[in-house]
Amino acid sequence: MAPRRSQPVRQTQASSNPLDPALIARRTKKHLGELEKSNYTEVDIDPDQADGAAEGSGRRGRGTARQTLISDGRPSVHPNKKSTMNIRTALLYKKNLATLIEESGVGNLPPSVPGYFSAVVPPSQEPPRLFCSVCGYWGNYRCMKCALPFCSRDCEVNHQETQCEKRVVY
Amino acid sequence: MLFLLDNGAHSIKVGHDHDPSVFQNAIVRSKGDKQTYYGHEIPRCRDRSSLHYRLPCEKGYVVDWDAQKAIWDGMFLQFPKPDIPESSILITEPYFNLPQIQRIYDQFVFEEYGFQSYYRCTPASLIPHGSLFTAPHKTREGDLPLPPECMLVIDSGFSFTHIVPLISGSIVWNAVKRIDVGGKLLTNHLKELISYRQWNMMDQTYIMDDVKERCCYVSADFKADMELSRTKLPNNPIILQYILPDFSLNRPGKLLERGQVVKDASWQILEMNNERFTVPELLFTPSDIGLDQIGLAQAIAHSISLLPEELHGMFWGNIGLIGGNTKFPGFAPRLPITEAYRSAHRFVTSSPSLYAQRYAITREDYFEIGNDISRRRWKGPYSDMPLRVDTRLKE
Repeated sequence: MAPRRSQPVRQTQASSNPLDPALIARRTKKHLGELEKSNYTEVDIDPDQADGAAEGSGRRGRGTARQTLISDGRPSVHPNKKSTMNIRTALLYKKNLATLIEESGVGNLPPSVPGYFSAVVPPSQEPPRLFCSVCGYWGNYRCMKCALPFCSRDCEVNHQETQCEKRVVY
Repeated sequence: MLFLLDNGAHSIKVGHDHDPSVFQNAIVRSKGDKQTYYGHEIPRCRDRSSLHYRLPCEKGYVVDWDAQKAIWDGMFLQFPKPDIPESSILITEPYFNLPQIQRIYDQFVFEEYGFQSYYRCTPASLIPHGSLFTAPHKTREGDLPLPPECMLVIDSGFSFTHIVPLISGSIVWNAVKRIDVGGKLLTNHLKELISYRQWNMMDQTYIMDDVKERCCYVSADFKADMELSRTKLPNNPIILQYILPDFSLNRPGKLLERGQVVKDASWQILEMNNERFTVPELLFTPSDIGLDQIGLAQAIAHSISLLPEELHGMFWGNIGLIGGNTKFPGFAPRLPITEAYRSAHRFVTSSPSLYAQRYAITREDYFEIGNDISRRRWKGPYSDMPLRVDTRLKE
């Protein structure tokens, strides 16, 4: 197969209509996802590196099934006891919450049954307030290029020099 | 012996008696001294710039059991003589905890640690046993007034904010409501604001948590405070100056007193102006960051509207606040985050035999009947749903 050309098509489409509400909604959603991050730069704490020992063999040796566990290198409540299969499974196979929710099937419950999805509060009836993306005061105007709000001429200049992405990036 | 373990996504509250030890439910790695600190060891970490966090919980639910076990192991070994096979443990879990996560809790308690007996419940369900709704001056045992029949517990924690109505001590699950705003989101939002406006703080979660806890408050008049925050410094009653910590000199961050001048040129000053109240405001107006959900005040009204109409007044009259975010000034009354722990303590001490017979599951029962026993005994929102078992390892 021929190597793919760079510059995907959708970027040019996106810039043709920068104030499309769907694009802005997608940018907001991405931003909300970022606000849930535990670390700004996502690198896992590596137990090998953490203990400063050359311990790479466990990972390379027998493929992906046997990973190094940080809890294995720690003092244990029952040091001589072997963990049961259930516990080893829980320790070794980490799944993220989205996968767990999907697997549990709570998404298939009818809306009348209380559950994770039906517990969320309803959407707001009022239009959202807008705040200046530079100083935090009321944002009564929006940037023509990236749709972020600002409050005054001064903040607009600041926004364009330091913040404006020139288009809605999502 | 009886262990009480309030296992929060941000902090663990654990102990035997009235006062728990509180530490972060996290594994952190310090860039400064290249050391890794587990749970209770974190206070020992001195260089807290650019800490890297590994949290066992994602949105309040335990997903990383490797990290959780490492923290729990260290925690149990902190007790002088943790005689676990003879002990009972009470563990808190998040609201609407998923069935397959609940199973792992049970497996850890009995198969890994081997406790004698065990009870697992949500923090709000412990509040009727505590003293949150009873007059604080009546502390002599015996003549404590009974908690009200109807109560509404607001649990605003690290991952989200729940509104939990209880009638006669049991949760009314169909009126439990969740706002996806918690302390983690607030800190991250503050981090973004400060990083754009003043100092790059994107990697300084620890410092920004401290700034948030010291400076932020819930505004009683948002519009007026917004105007006040526009005025220049001597007349501005909002602005606070925070001196950033210097970990190389072992100097913690602190607030500059109003009117005090910057003495040392090496001090790095962070100014908190409208950030002080716009950040906690997200609890009351999540749409300020584009999260399309109603705020706390409306959500309370919404939750109460789902309850029997003749009881509405009873719920409006008995609203209690628990969780870390309720410590913001203005989120009155200010309450300690250990309220669920204290309630658990009163629960198990006021009638130990009732706790043992009615609530706790014993190790014998667990190995006799199996995992299903907790689902049958402690009715929860998902109790009637068939459990899907992961069969990957059983090929």
